[in-house]
Amino acid sequence: MKPILSRKEFIRRVAFAGMGLAGTALLQACGTPAAPALNRITLEPSPTARPSAAPSPTYTPRAPAAPLPTPTPAAIPPTAAPAPSTALPHLAVVRGASAEAITRQAVTALGGIGRFVKAGDDVIIKPNICNAYHGPEYASTTNPEVVAALVKMCLEAGARRVRVMDFPFAGTPQKAYEVSGIGAAVRAAGGEMEVMSKVKYRQVDIPAGQTIKRWNIYGDALDADVLINVPIAKDHGSTRLTLGMKNLMGLVLDRAGFHARGLHQCIVDLNTVVRPHLTVVDATRILVANGPTGGSLDDVRVMNTVIASPDIVAADAYATTLFGLTPADVAYISMGAERGLGTADLTRIAIAEIEL
Amino acid sequence: MTSCAAHDASAPRHTSAGQGRAGILARLRPYVQALFLALFVILITLAWVLGDSRSWANLFFRLDPLAGAMSMLAGRRFLPALLLSLLTIGLTLMVGRVWCAWICPLGTLLDWTPARQQPNAALGPESPWRRVKYILLIAMLASAIAGSLTVLLLDPIVLTSQMIGRVFLPLVEQAFSLLERAGFAIPWTRPLVSSADNLLRGTIFPLERHFYGGAVLIGLVFAGILALNALAPRFWCRHLCPLGALLGLLSRAAWIRRRVNTSCIDCGRCARLCPTGTIDAGRGYASDPAECTTCLLCQDACPVSAISFSGGSLRPAPSQNYDPTRRQALVTLGLGLAGVGLFRAGPSSDFLDPHRILPPGGRENDLASKCIRCGLCLKACPTGGLQPAFPRASAQDLWTPVLVPRMGYCDYSCHACGQICPTGAIPDIPLDIKRTVIIGKAYIDTSRCIPWSEGRDCIVCEEMCPVPDKAIKLEEARVKTVAGQTVTVKLPHVERERCIGCGICEYQCPVAGQAAVRVYSPVLERG
Repeated sequence: MKPILSRKEFIRRVAFAGMGLAGTALLQACGTPAAPALNRITLEPSPTARPSAAPSPTYTPRAPAAPLPTPTPAAIPPTAAPAPSTALPHLAVVRGASAEAITRQAVTALGGIGRFVKAGDDVIIKPNICNAYHGPEYASTTNPEVVAALVKMCLEAGARRVRVMDFPFAGTPQKAYEVSGIGAAVRAAGGEMEVMSKVKYRQVDIPAGQTIKRWNIYGDALDADVLINVPIAKDHGSTRLTLGMKNLMGLVLDRAGFHARGLHQCIVDLNTVVRPHLTVVDATRILVANGPTGGSLDDVRVMNTVIASPDIVAADAYATTLFGLTPADVAYISMGAERGLGTADLTRIAIAEIEL
Repeated sequence: MTSCAAHDASAPRHTSAGQGRAGILARLRPYVQALFLALFVILITLAWVLGDSRSWANLFFRLDPLAGAMSMLAGRRFLPALLLSLLTIGLTLMVGRVWCAWICPLGTLLDWTPARQQPNAALGPESPWRRVKYILLIAMLASAIAGSLTVLLLDPIVLTSQMIGRVFLPLVEQAFSLLERAGFAIPWTRPLVSSADNLLRGTIFPLERHFYGGAVLIGLVFAGILALNALAPRFWCRHLCPLGALLGLLSRAAWIRRRVNTSCIDCGRCARLCPTGTIDAGRGYASDPAECTTCLLCQDACPVSAISFSGGSLRPAPSQNYDPTRRQALVTLGLGLAGVGLFRAGPSSDFLDPHRILPPGGRENDLASKCIRCGLCLKACPTGGLQPAFPRASAQDLWTPVLVPRMGYCDYSCHACGQICPTGAIPDIPLDIKRTVIIGKAYIDTSRCIPWSEGRDCIVCEEMCPVPDKAIKLEEARVKTVAGQTVTVKLPHVERERCIGCGICEYQCPVAGQAAVRVYSPVLERG
């Protein structure tokens, strides 16, 4: 049989392939930060503990999203936007039949989208698309009209790129994006749906963390110019409600680790490094039981409400009232307020309540 | 025995027209083969992307008359979807075993594998070992009559599908992951990696790597079949392939057959080239239509255009020395039937594996007697939870799909396995009904469950439970921790009558190693 390749040619090709592989391996070795191989945290600070306020070497955040220094009792403004003038409310609550109109009105009441998004910004919007089970009428995923309205507003403000993403715990993201209606709505509005890529997660130091000091977090969410958090308000077995602070769990890979270590504390720790510039709680429909998955229309209440604030704690605190609860009923909210992530005391903030 | 076909004086002569056309056809064949192989791989690869039209992915199995006939026989029912294989049968009756040389993906891979060109004399045109494939076919028939399809693992389309789905695509995914990680380390290729990931993850490659039991075994068996080329080209097709045997039997009555006319100059080129080695120099370069795959290599190579493939045969081709005798056939049939009895002599799979969970509807449908082991459901399963039943299964159930929840759950929004199954072994149940089909029952191991054993809240199982009114309920209770304090925790309980056994609780349970909530087979009696 005539050989397909001469020996010389074969050795040449193998050598080339080997060099190529070695090259990639080398690049990989140089390029990846020296992170522990395991997707686990180190609970204790390393013996050569660096000052807790120092940012991780792999992560140089823009000012607004900076990890919190040692917690202070005063609320820390989470956005880079110009300090709100006294005329602007701390929190906007808008009620009305049109989800798009109330979303727009809520942002307008806070000073308009221009306060959060500048021309040329790279924006990430994080709704709750937790699984691919049910359409939006079941209130287990964020209302697509609310998400689409935010996409449009960001683009109107001149955003360079608006990406929408979540990491569903069941079903493929593509399917969850379609079933939730968010995929179609976002594309129609001019945004992009992103499948959250495993390679984009990185180990991030959590200097102010009490339970977790380091965790795998989606890098793009930290690197984006603007992060907008759009949870749906719904029932949740262990935390009582899932709202804005809990919604950020969609940005971490190891969620079982949160559960195993104490969910509330881990959520608060995560919120010290992931600081959305704006939180818009979708309460157009809320799920009052059998959350977060839902599946029965009997558990859905139509509230036609949107709550928006740059203060994630305040937005969550207000949302509890829609369920007949108080902020104190949801531990991560009061813990977040204590750690200086925002204000849970609704009597101390200026709230704009608007009916459309 | 003399061959009638070879020197049939009445055969029409093709002296002028044949050569040129045959030349083009013979040179076209590798491209046709590559095209079919590519189609085969692409259809399997697209099992998720095709969505509700994913039944296209099983096209090759609907064209495979062996899988179709055996599945109908063992399942004792008529399957209209499999009538597509009549196309293959019709084609074979027209032009012989063309499937093997032009379409079969395994045949193509064998053609691409280097082979020993001058095999040992014992493997010549009249090698008695050619009989083995007929014996295998008869054994398969016997086992199908007895209701077992395990032997169908030797169907070349099944084998190749298992190879592509369990071995090839997972390897491609590993290579893709390496490239991704390397590309992500370089800043200027990062956007490219991001786009590739967006396009391919969740569509062609899984988001999280899927692992398959028995993958090593499939890889080794497949490599072994290719390695047999070291004995003779297409050793598998000549001696072992049961589908080749079936198509060979049909080819005996084929209308178009290979003929050699009297202008043959005895150069022997055709006999040396023939990939199935059926051209017999000792018999005037005649061939057995049951062995000839109509690859046209001989016609293309003949320096004097003495070889033609032409119609006109009505009488079946004569039988050969290596055909099984009636006695051999009957003994094989008997042994095959007894063999299936032996399959069932061991403990049942439900006994071997108390966690034996079948895909929705499979248990009610007597899946094992209808499943052709094509493995498409394993590829279609988006969570990678469907695994081949191996090794904890009886011989009767070997390589049928089972759900292993710790590896992947049965997604509440998915019924892909039923949509892709070519034989209806997994019924194609509408999604809203599939959501109510009970495939197992979850039980909590309170000695390992975090709230039960450690007095700390956890509740992942309750959170994940997709049943609208939750089959896992939380109950607040005062328990004593290891440290001796009494605390209030939420303890999970399974509401057994609501549980459908999807296994997402087991999959997501944060307890290390084996989950603290596990799904058991819904059949609790020893069956």
